[in-house]
Amino acid sequence: MATDLEVGKTIMQGQVLVQAAATAQVRQPKRPHVWRKAVLPWLFVAPLLIANIVVVLGPSVGSAFFAFTDWSGLGSFKWVGLANFQRMVGDRVFHVAFANNVKWTLLFLIVPIGMGLFGSAIIAPIKRGAMFYRVAYFVPHVIASVVNAEIWRQILHPTMGIGPWLASRGLKFMDVAFFGNVHTVFYAVAFVDNWQWWGFLLVLYLAAMQAVDPELYEAARLEGANRWQEWRNVTLPGILPNLVFTILITIMWSFKVFDYIYLLTGGGPAHASEVLATQVFNEAFYQFEAGYAAAIGLTMSLISALVVVVFIVLRRKGWEI
Amino acid sequence: MRHRRITRREFLSISGLAAVGLIAAACAPSAAPAPTTSPTQAAGQATEAPTAAPATVASTAVPPTMASKAPTKIVWWNESYNDAMEKNLTTNFVDTFNAAHPDTPIDLTYQENLDQTLRTAVQAGAGPDVVITPGPGFVLEYINAGYILDLSDFAVQYGWKDKLLSWAYDSGTVNGKLYSLPLTFESVLVYYNKTVFDKQAWQPPTTGDEMVALCEAAKKANIYALSAGNSDWKAATEWFVGPFLDEYAGDDNYYKALIGEKKWTDPEFVGAIKMLNDWFQKGYFSGSIDNYHALTGNDYVGNLANGKAAMMIDGTWAFADVPGAFEQSGQDWDWFPMPPLNTGVHQSYGLAIGTTVSINAKSKIPDAAAKALDWIVNDKKRAMTIASGMSFGEWVVPLHFTPEDFPANVDKRIARFYQDFVAVTGRGDYGYTTWTFWPPKTEEYVYQGFDDVMAGTTTVEQYLAQIQQQFDAERTAGKTPPVPKRNV
Repeated sequence: MATDLEVGKTIMQGQVLVQAAATAQVRQPKRPHVWRKAVLPWLFVAPLLIANIVVVLGPSVGSAFFAFTDWSGLGSFKWVGLANFQRMVGDRVFHVAFANNVKWTLLFLIVPIGMGLFGSAIIAPIKRGAMFYRVAYFVPHVIASVVNAEIWRQILHPTMGIGPWLASRGLKFMDVAFFGNVHTVFYAVAFVDNWQWWGFLLVLYLAAMQAVDPELYEAARLEGANRWQEWRNVTLPGILPNLVFTILITIMWSFKVFDYIYLLTGGGPAHASEVLATQVFNEAFYQFEAGYAAAIGLTMSLISALVVVVFIVLRRKGWEI
Repeated sequence: MRHRRITRREFLSISGLAAVGLIAAACAPSAAPAPTTSPTQAAGQATEAPTAAPATVASTAVPPTMASKAPTKIVWWNESYNDAMEKNLTTNFVDTFNAAHPDTPIDLTYQENLDQTLRTAVQAGAGPDVVITPGPGFVLEYINAGYILDLSDFAVQYGWKDKLLSWAYDSGTVNGKLYSLPLTFESVLVYYNKTVFDKQAWQPPTTGDEMVALCEAAKKANIYALSAGNSDWKAATEWFVGPFLDEYAGDDNYYKALIGEKKWTDPEFVGAIKMLNDWFQKGYFSGSIDNYHALTGNDYVGNLANGKAAMMIDGTWAFADVPGAFEQSGQDWDWFPMPPLNTGVHQSYGLAIGTTVSINAKSKIPDAAAKALDWIVNDKKRAMTIASGMSFGEWVVPLHFTPEDFPANVDKRIARFYQDFVAVTGRGDYGYTTWTFWPPKTEEYVYQGFDDVMAGTTTVEQYLAQIQQQFDAERTAGKTPPVPKRNV
């Protein structure tokens, strides 16, 4: 007859065995299919990855390479090192275009963002007809730029537009060919682009405002805050991530602005509305200077990359953006 | 349990490798286009200005036997036109060719941005069998890169040299070999509102002084002297620069400058550009420089047709728009040649090729493509029908047209122009348009730089000095289109 100790041993051994069996069962490979772990994720990302490699990464790397060549856009090429970048230093058109891009950036950091913030602050408290305002301000953004450009070309037409119409009614100073005068053309095109852009920002800020906790406004009111103080201390911090994001994309998009300038003025007259993107287009397609155009394009990309780096650094420093 | 994740490094490695592979594949044909064998050059078949700077050309002829194995469609990419013009081209060109050549029909596709699309396709070793470009300066880039087939043998086979006007044929030759045929020839003339002229009792001017007097009279009558604008086509300015250089300095001097025997900074050319700038500053062009920069093609043709403007310096392509605009306005129009602007200068017409047609060096059916090219030039009646259907705006092939070739339904004013063009240029009075005979970068500066002259940020002397510098650089690099020889 087994002693208690033996019985105990047996039981323990049995427990150990059962435990071991259980553990073994747990570890039993329901053998993970290799394709599920290593291949399947790639299959999911493959379509987008391939598309990006083909239409973004490939041409980007290609452009970066050609920036160091004398490629005409057709046929063979020679490696020219930094010659294209040295050429930029002495290129008057590049200087004008770069300065215009900087001017454009500053203009769009101030005007549409300011209008969007102001407009959203005014519209946010409106309850009745709120949707109407949102749609009304957003509509220009969904109209194709080529259509917008044509609408404003007609409105600001030098002989049939609003300018000569107002001039004939006494406002002589309005008799201006806005898209033809070297002093007004840049601002005229920026005005048209802004007309399409600021409504988008307004709606974006409005949406962000809805995410702000209403109790914060209530608390602010209980503390006796006025509308400005409410906006300054509750709304602005609440929408700060959206605001910073729009600042970021404004800077990046301002350095690649092309459509309205190309459609309305082609960069003219006398390069008064020239920007880097229109210069790239001219150099590549009319002057057969694809290498130089790529160098300018690479410069534009580096500027955008710099903005992104600043953005990342700020995030790492704890900015909620 | 730890899943194996795709690390950032692996992701970047794989992406990078794929990109490098892709780029390597994409670059291969463009970096080293494979030239094919050279044909036997038919002696004396192609002429070129002997004094013009030689262009570097990769030889790309393909033996005609290559064509026999691939009885496929001839892929033809064309710039897009309006519906009526496209229908005309289909009916009178594509359908007639396909009916006669059922084994190798033309597959014609209209492209919105033909030039850009074509460049990408051709250097990828693909693209259409038939290559169409906006002029000799453009096709020269393709030729230098080795993408265009030498057509010299086909020229002999089909007798193209005899069928085409000699200057137009020569414009397609480089280093004695034919690479392109002229699909559309053009020139510049002065359209005028006849209703306005009749009302004001004005006569078409025959000298520069008369033209200036007319412009002043128009200003006094509160009418734009010259309808113009470059808002939608910045290059429109070169339609004036070229004729002013020609009609002020004279054809011979212009030719000498093109072949390097004169400088663009010489006094004759300075005088021409100063005169053009003076006309702009005085508001002869659409009332003011600002208006000029803000008006589009539709605007200025409309202004002429509505009597808001008296005249319009424009190309023959405007034959496609002017009659319709005047029909709408109910007024009458006519034209006169650009008058000589300086004493001792003959009235002439600027020669221009607005479109060239060639064969892709990679075409697998060059024989069939050559037949399609021959279909453009081998029947004057068909060519006239097509040109007429395009309102003489496109596909005006420079054949030896006689007055009898113009059907009765062709506008008499248009027919009169082409007859006069043949007569005047036939006696040697012809000049050279910038978009046909100038290298591309210099041509671009011609109109971009003149904007600066008008704005006062560049002097005429600086402008011409820059032209000379650019011209010399491109001439040295072999980028000057062929210039028909002139006896001076």
